[in-house]
Amino acid sequence: MLLLQLLINGIQLGALYALTAAGFSLIFGSTRVFHFAHGSAFAIAAYLFYFFYAVAGAGWPVAALAATVAAVVFGVAVDRFIYAPIQRHEGSFFTVFVASFGIAIVVQNLIGMIFGRGFVSVPTALSRSIEITPGLYVSPLAGIAILCAVAFFVGLHLFLTRTHVGFALRALAENPELVRTYGLSPRLLSSYAFALGSLLVVPSALLTSASTGLNPAVGSDIMLVSLAATIVGGVGSLRGAACAGLLLGLGQNLALWRLVSQWSDAVTFVVLFLFILFRPSGFFGRAVTS
Amino acid sequence: MFAYSLNLATLICINAVLAITLNFIIGYAGIFSVAHAIFFGVGAYTAANVALYVNGSMFVAVPIAMAAAAALSLALALPALRVRGEYFIAASLGLQVIGVTVFSEWKSATGGIGGLIGIPPANLFGRDIVDPVEFLVLAATCLALTVLVIGVLVRSSFGRNLKAIRDSESAALAAGKNVALIKTLSVVLSSSLAAVAGALYAFYLSFINVESFTLDTSVLLTAMVIIGGTGTRLGPLVGAALLMLLPGLLSYLWFLPPTEIGSIQQIIYGAAMVLLMIFRPGGIVGSRAGAR
Repeated sequence: MLLLQLLINGIQLGALYALTAAGFSLIFGSTRVFHFAHGSAFAIAAYLFYFFYAVAGAGWPVAALAATVAAVVFGVAVDRFIYAPIQRHEGSFFTVFVASFGIAIVVQNLIGMIFGRGFVSVPTALSRSIEITPGLYVSPLAGIAILCAVAFFVGLHLFLTRTHVGFALRALAENPELVRTYGLSPRLLSSYAFALGSLLVVPSALLTSASTGLNPAVGSDIMLVSLAATIVGGVGSLRGAACAGLLLGLGQNLALWRLVSQWSDAVTFVVLFLFILFRPSGFFGRAVTS
Repeated sequence: MFAYSLNLATLICINAVLAITLNFIIGYAGIFSVAHAIFFGVGAYTAANVALYVNGSMFVAVPIAMAAAAALSLALALPALRVRGEYFIAASLGLQVIGVTVFSEWKSATGGIGGLIGIPPANLFGRDIVDPVEFLVLAATCLALTVLVIGVLVRSSFGRNLKAIRDSESAALAAGKNVALIKTLSVVLSSSLAAVAGALYAFYLSFINVESFTLDTSVLLTAMVIIGGTGTRLGPLVGAALLMLLPGLLSYLWFLPPTEIGSIQQIIYGAAMVLLMIFRPGGIVGSRAGAR
């Protein structure tokens, strides 16, 4: 029964990881920006939801809307005002990464100063677990998480395969030079990628604040998992990132069966190490070893 | 005040050793590692255990600490040889996270969260170095040696090979350089010198716990290198001194709430990293616009 419980928890966590990882993978795959501040968008959305819903007492649709707007504006603004100026004079991967790293540090500490360094959570009617069969507790949030993940992935798939912007984004991932020749602006497309990627963190940010709770470091924790999932799944493959996110969520929870909880992050990175050593291209990625 | 300055100077020396060795792989080898605090930690824990249970002499503890860090660094060098920059960052992050878990869970060797206490003072030629002034001299000597070793290496053919690999790995490979060996050696060297700083730190404080070796420390060290100037000789020294002086300077600003100083300090160096990358990617010391 414990195993079944861990399996369900793992799927719930994995669905959330899959969404954030897909966001990072979309940004990284199409723009080649190592957006380390992706976790910051997550933390901003989660804390704003907490502020509007639990502190200010607004209704959940208002709070969710505020969180969504904040995450998307943050992602696009970082791209426009920080990455774009850097790429204009010198586009080295390393320089952009360092700037991104700096942003993540600033956001994490600002959140700590504004909301406190302790643990906060958003108690909702849905957060309480229900005993389905003796010894097996499931909260309605698990179902919502899985539904959200499926809905967002179907939506994302349709967007990328059916719309012009979606086509252009996939083209940008393949060959930015050719996109420019074709008369599309890689700059504008990059904004789309950041908006879409940041949008994908919102559902998991809201669900995390309602289920496990938040602390200022939540952004970097999520970022580490998204990064691991992106690589395990294969860079540029949304399908891969989603599967890997699910796998890591399951892995972290199933590890609790035999190990104490302090080791669950280590499990993620052991999986990551194995993939980097034996299959650096991930599940679905193209070969990327230099 | 004098004791405070001595303490700060000693810590600057220790951190400068770390920044210089980190700069060696980031700035010259083009290997971006965010796991330097782990090698610092391995050095500290190994030296502490050797001094506690085997032999208090620095000439025993330091080489063993270096060997331990060198051995572990092979685990990091292994993926470094196979994959590109972004993957390596992920791998080093992984090592950092796993390392912190091991430091806080392997209770028999590291004392768990509580850490190791009562580490004997550094012993040099049968003499205990307990006087803070003497310890500063010792730390400064280690710093000078590190500067010398790294300086010589960077100018040697080994250093030129490294820069060649950083600028174009395939060109270096085509020129017949053993890229894998050179990269591995640079990582091993940098890690084992970081272990020296770890040993100094353990002997100096006579108490260590996992708090000193977390991701925050790695980030701080990375910030020292980047803010000072990657790939420059003076940069890491300037960066280490600046960032170590920052908390002291901030505490002079009476209007800042003392509980927030840590956060404010991190915000300052985070923002400095962002602004430098936009306006001066070479760092404070660096002149080249195209530093990586």
